[in-house]
Amino acid sequence: MAGSGRGRGRAAFTFNIEAIGFAKGASLPEVVCKPPPLFPSTDNKPVPLKTGEGEDYMLALKQDLRGTMKKMPYFLAVEEDREAIERYSKKYLEIEKERAAWTPDWRRLPREMKPSKKTKKAGTKPKKAKSSELKSNLDVLKKIEELEKKDEEEEKSEDEKDKTKDKEGEDDEEAEEPEEYDEEEHEEENDYISSYFEDGDDFGAGSDDNMDEATY
Amino acid sequence: MTQAEIKLCSLLLQEHFGEIVEKIGTYLIRTGTQPLRMIVNDTGLSLDQVKKALCVLIQHNLVTYQLQKRGFVEYEAQCKRVLRILRYPRYIYTAKTLYNDTGELIVEELLLNGKMTMSAVVRKVADRLTETMEDGKTMDYADVSSTFVRLADTHFVQRCPLVPEAAETPEVPPPPAPTLVINEKDMYAVPKLNLVGKGKRRRSCDEDENHEHKAKKHKKDGEDAEPPPDDGIYWQVNIDRFHQHFRDQGIVSAVANRMDQTSSEIVRTMLRMSEVTTSSSAPYTQPLSSNEIFRSLPAGYNIVKQVLDQYLTLLADDPLEFVGKSGDSGGGMYTVICTDLHKALASLATATLESIVEERFGSRCARIFRLLLRKKHLEQKQVEDFAMIPAKEAKDMLYKMLSENFVSLQEIPKTPDHAPSRTFYLYTVNILSSARMLLHRCYKSVANLIERRQYETKENKRLLEKSQRVEAILASMQATGAEDVQLQEIEEMITAPERQQLENLKRNVNKIDASENQVDETIFVLESFIESTLKKP
Repeated sequence: MAGSGRGRGRAAFTFNIEAIGFAKGASLPEVVCKPPPLFPSTDNKPVPLKTGEGEDYMLALKQDLRGTMKKMPYFLAVEEDREAIERYSKKYLEIEKERAAWTPDWRRLPREMKPSKKTKKAGTKPKKAKSSELKSNLDVLKKIEELEKKDEEEEKSEDEKDKTKDKEGEDDEEAEEPEEYDEEEHEEENDYISSYFEDGDDFGAGSDDNMDEATY
Repeated sequence: MTQAEIKLCSLLLQEHFGEIVEKIGTYLIRTGTQPLRMIVNDTGLSLDQVKKALCVLIQHNLVTYQLQKRGFVEYEAQCKRVLRILRYPRYIYTAKTLYNDTGELIVEELLLNGKMTMSAVVRKVADRLTETMEDGKTMDYADVSSTFVRLADTHFVQRCPLVPEAAETPEVPPPPAPTLVINEKDMYAVPKLNLVGKGKRRRSCDEDENHEHKAKKHKKDGEDAEPPPDDGIYWQVNIDRFHQHFRDQGIVSAVANRMDQTSSEIVRTMLRMSEVTTSSSAPYTQPLSSNEIFRSLPAGYNIVKQVLDQYLTLLADDPLEFVGKSGDSGGGMYTVICTDLHKALASLATATLESIVEERFGSRCARIFRLLLRKKHLEQKQVEDFAMIPAKEAKDMLYKMLSENFVSLQEIPKTPDHAPSRTFYLYTVNILSSARMLLHRCYKSVANLIERRQYETKENKRLLEKSQRVEAILASMQATGAEDVQLQEIEEMITAPERQQLENLKRNVNKIDASENQVDETIFVLESFIESTLKKP
């Protein structure tokens, strides 16, 4: 490569520069200081695409395939937030037919793939009969509260309670939310009812767990 | 897996299977084999979602699992298989050319669903065909079954590995994952099914509806009570066979371009005869005698035996070396011919490289490139002399190609100290590394094309939705019988410039899609060539 010019301040190369085609004394091309551009200009334009019956058919196939795969049960889409405003035109758009649920052949898959039965949220009504198990103090207190309410409210809260029981086996996080929601509902109902008694200062001070005492 | 491949796989998965599957697929491709817990931890998705996505991926043969010695299961993604999604339209179109609409739909259903049982495929395809037929006509299951059998006989569809028959004793718990086995002999054996029935339309008159209701109920009960006779026997598309077919097509068209139609027909006959006997990675086809070829020529070509022999000699002597003579037997009366598949693929790849250099750099660069291919190693001075190009331009072109890695330098030192003034620098072309470099570039191009297409569609999303709404309104109004004036009013909801914009969008998207298909053809040629060099002992 070019050595530092000791002799008379001129650059000297260690090899014969004529070998790579530069005439002696001719100016060398300029040094490149930055990376090549991201979109270099193309002097030669690309050849036009092939056209023909086969190519057109394959194009149509490709677009159809894309559309079809989006509708298959294998397409797992992230659930988007529902639109806040109900649009009138929704009536005219093709209602997405419920995708046929697809169940794989469990015999061919590792056993850990099969979702365990506990995660099933549907069918809580049949489990009402088994709801005699009480797992925690919270449930006991709730049960006592609910026994005082009307039938409909009892059913509704028992469903939620069943849901919470089901989920307690799985994720604690998931169970917390409906439990909190439960308590909110109960709070509201108690608020509504306890206003009759006008407990005043004593009411807000008690924690949620002690709410049953307030209603007494 | 290179970055370009990973990016392309992730785009393909996202377009065809959604974001959840894409995340998991990309994670597995990037990190290799992982157990379920690791996947859940690292991707941050919920266990339920990961399980569903893995089921989808396994169903489509994109992920395989393996039971490890310590008792847990590990999952591995097949990156190459994900890239094949790009080629699905080509597979379906090939099936159409070979086996008509029925074959096309069978292959399409199998590709859309990954694996299916034969009875399920036959039923779905018959229904789809019946939809397109005229009123009153239905598609019989027998026709579809016979096409399916033909596809299996020519190895275009194959059986998936089976769950082994488990004669377990109750004490031994079943293993956490089944080990799937497949017997070579059974891979294309079609089960004896007695599929009787006809395709059903979706809209049908009341009589049929009653039948359908009963049939549906029966089917639901039937699924619980009696599994179909071929339960557990799943079929999948045999991608390697399709690739073999594409390769044969490429060779035949190359011969047709180089010589004439008749010689290409001869080569096609030879290849067809060795289709089922040669495995996809063999370097040579089975040797065939000229008598056999003569007998198997298609009926339209009535050429005399001597003419056939002359053609064979011509083909064998051709510098392209597609066809080689592997011996004379029977006292020189018979020649035995076989096709050299590796050399054929190498020629195809080289031709692709040459054409790319020509289009990218110009015809003079292409001349230098071909010169280097022929002469292997040349010095700068020799390049200028042989190519008959002035020194300055030759130098410029060589350096341009060198910077793009089409051409490389080989140093040959004269002295042990490698002094630059006493070293030969020779230019050379290494086909394999250039092919790999180009393949990487192709993956990048397709990824860019897909991204651009998605960007274009996203930019005009509002307009697309509006036009869809208008079409839906028009359709519903036409169904209820509206007047032309009203229809016109609705159509005018889309203004002329918007219509123009929609036209532009459609044209651009079509162009991009067509480009993707054609880049995939180049990818196929380069990949086949690279694969054939890997398998050489």
